[in-house]
Amino acid sequence: MIQNVLKEIGGIGLYGVISVCLFFLVFSVALARACLLKKRFLNSMSMLPLQDGPPPTKGVSHHE
Amino acid sequence: MNVETFRYDNRVVRAFAIATVIWGLVGFGAGLLIACQLFWPDLNFNLQFTTFGRLRPLHTNAVIFAFVGNGMFMGIYYSLQRLLKARMYSDFLSWVNFWGWQAIIVGAAVTLPLGFTTSKEYAELEWPIDIAITVVWVAFTINLIGTILKRRERHLYVAIWFYLATAITVAVLHIGNSLAIPASAFKSYSIYAGVQDALMQWWYGHNAVAFFLTTPYLGMMYYFLPKAADRPVFSYRLSIIHFWGLIFIYIWAGPHHLLYTALPDWAQSLGMVFSLMLIAPSWGGMLNGLLTLRGAWDKVRQDPMLKFMVVALTAYGMATLEGPALAIKSVNSLSHYTDWTIAHVHTGALGWNGFLTFSVLYWLIPRLYNTRLWSVKLANWHFWVALLGMMFYVVPMYWSGITQGLMWKQFTSEGFMQYPNFLETVLQLIPMYRLRAIGGTLYIVGACLMAYNLWKTAKGGEFQPEQEASAVPLSPEAPPAHAHNPWGHRWLEGKPLLFTALSLVAILVGGLVEVIPMYLIKGNVPTISSVKPYTPLEVLGRDIYIREGCVGCHSQMVRPFRSETERYGDYSKAGEFIYDHPFLWGSKRTGPDLHRQGGKYPDAWHYNHMDDPRLTSPGSIMPRYPWLLTQKINTNALPARLAALRKTGVPYPAGFENGSAQKDLWNQAGKVVTNLKQGSITNAAPDTEIIALIAYLQRLGTDIKAPPSPPSPPSPPSTPAITSGDSKSGGGL
Repeated sequence: MIQNVLKEIGGIGLYGVISVCLFFLVFSVALARACLLKKRFLNSMSMLPLQDGPPPTKGVSHHE
Repeated sequence: MNVETFRYDNRVVRAFAIATVIWGLVGFGAGLLIACQLFWPDLNFNLQFTTFGRLRPLHTNAVIFAFVGNGMFMGIYYSLQRLLKARMYSDFLSWVNFWGWQAIIVGAAVTLPLGFTTSKEYAELEWPIDIAITVVWVAFTINLIGTILKRRERHLYVAIWFYLATAITVAVLHIGNSLAIPASAFKSYSIYAGVQDALMQWWYGHNAVAFFLTTPYLGMMYYFLPKAADRPVFSYRLSIIHFWGLIFIYIWAGPHHLLYTALPDWAQSLGMVFSLMLIAPSWGGMLNGLLTLRGAWDKVRQDPMLKFMVVALTAYGMATLEGPALAIKSVNSLSHYTDWTIAHVHTGALGWNGFLTFSVLYWLIPRLYNTRLWSVKLANWHFWVALLGMMFYVVPMYWSGITQGLMWKQFTSEGFMQYPNFLETVLQLIPMYRLRAIGGTLYIVGACLMAYNLWKTAKGGEFQPEQEASAVPLSPEAPPAHAHNPWGHRWLEGKPLLFTALSLVAILVGGLVEVIPMYLIKGNVPTISSVKPYTPLEVLGRDIYIREGCVGCHSQMVRPFRSETERYGDYSKAGEFIYDHPFLWGSKRTGPDLHRQGGKYPDAWHYNHMDDPRLTSPGSIMPRYPWLLTQKINTNALPARLAALRKTGVPYPAGFENGSAQKDLWNQAGKVVTNLKQGSITNAAPDTEIIALIAYLQRLGTDIKAPPSPPSPPSPPSTPAITSGDSKSGGGL
């Protein structure tokens, strides 16, 4: 059944090949970009959440 | 240097936090109620508004859009302002987002029990609410992008990429899947039919998991975990690969929800391959989170917030390993339609979303109230009770799912079905359903402990409606960040609109490659000449089937396995669904598949079964539907519904709804009443809902059993004979 549904579309198998190729292209570019970044920049980026410093909480917990 | 002082808005964050807790309890409670109904069917109190079929979508929508949705906005509104060193772009839009979202949730809570549903999973809300969702989502997206544009921090932290991907992808998915033709204020028909509708629905459904339940929470993990652990994320480089890998791959994986159905084989294989590839970015993200805690595990012992976070990440890892495994066709042939899927999604929902939300709430509320958590001990109790609850939920469901799958497929040595009566396989699961309810109860008890703890924390502190901060504004004269690296990611992070556009392209590519052939399919689904549109009475019966949420327990898709064709009949063909707006293939078989139900039992059997399922099937866990025997069918709605269906492409003749449709309806209803009299049911009125439902059920799957018609053109005829035919109830064209 399943095999018959789309067999009449010409070159349908190409969709799978295009899909996987596209993925590897995107993945390779992302990997290359990530590898090109300087350590100093990466460190500064990863510190961003720690810079906003919410006010220190006061008071006591009743049940530690 | 010109340092600007400004204030972060905490009011909207607190509002979303409160809503998260309240709706979480409601969503969990609805889940527990329907879980109990599976071993105690009378727990709907004999009310039509509280049956399993109507409350299941309420539970899923409450947990996904109310609990996780509010939790997501809470995390985004808090972290976005601080990561960008800017107040939200518009307070007005923030409150439109908050109140609009709550109004939508209330709308869902009212309309779903009333039976206003499209039946498409996680997209059940009818078209006016769909429009409201679009408006509120646009307000959120404008506020998000507006805040990014007025930021004081040049580079966008990885959490913000995940928020952006969420905003744009959810918009695309919601609009794409919700396209429908309204027939009345709360009734519409999907513009897609059958296979196309199924592919569109699961493209949406799978990516709702990806871009509503996963990406915003990953963004929150990348912000709140370093905050709680007081150390930066393990590898920022890995987070970049995690992001692009995840958003690109996720969008392709939807077809794994339709393995072995009438969906084209190539799309199934594509879905399976990309699902397997998803393990890499998912585990990259999980490990990045867990390794952030390297050297800080002593804090995990002391800080309940980190305990919840660790379990959340572990559950994420388990669910994202299991998901691809379930997408392997041979595994899926066993697991699909069983409780295994329920176990899988609850590992994600209870573990990943639930525990991460609890973690953020425990971290956030004391800070919003400038105090400390009222009771660390109580939070630890919550942790262990919730963990135990999760285990009591998922382990019985895995057991139940595998038991179901194996029993459905079991043959005797002589080659007969070992369990030909579906009910035998259901009764075997009742003990697991009881255990699952215990797990759910524990989880809710834990959430109540948290609500009390947070309330006491808030009472003990003083709410800080705004938090003052200062930063240097971005200067247009400043040297561009890409001065030394024009192609690096560093450059991209300073260009939010380009970044958004590239993310959109990444998710659209996958969607389009799968969706475009879907339209090609339209001309290539083998036309079955005997398949004809539903008769007027069957249309009303199908609408009742949709209203009651029958699709929540019954599939309409016989897969091409011997175990299914022996049990149900011939496997389902794509060409049989071309008039199904929406498709009703379902995703779970708490009850048997119904696609070949037509003609299997007499009309009187259906009448008695709907009145009380235990009369015909002793031990059945299906609720009673006695109101169907007395409620009148809504014939006034028929013309608008037939006209709407015609607009979707169903070839009803012009003017049919104002001409012979009513006459045809009463003719067919009369035949059903006659059949019922032959079955000793003499008091059935032709204008009751049960008559329409019986007509629809008796039509199911019978078209291809019809005697061959004379040669006809390959496309559906433009003016088919919409008359009642020769099946038991007069259906079948």
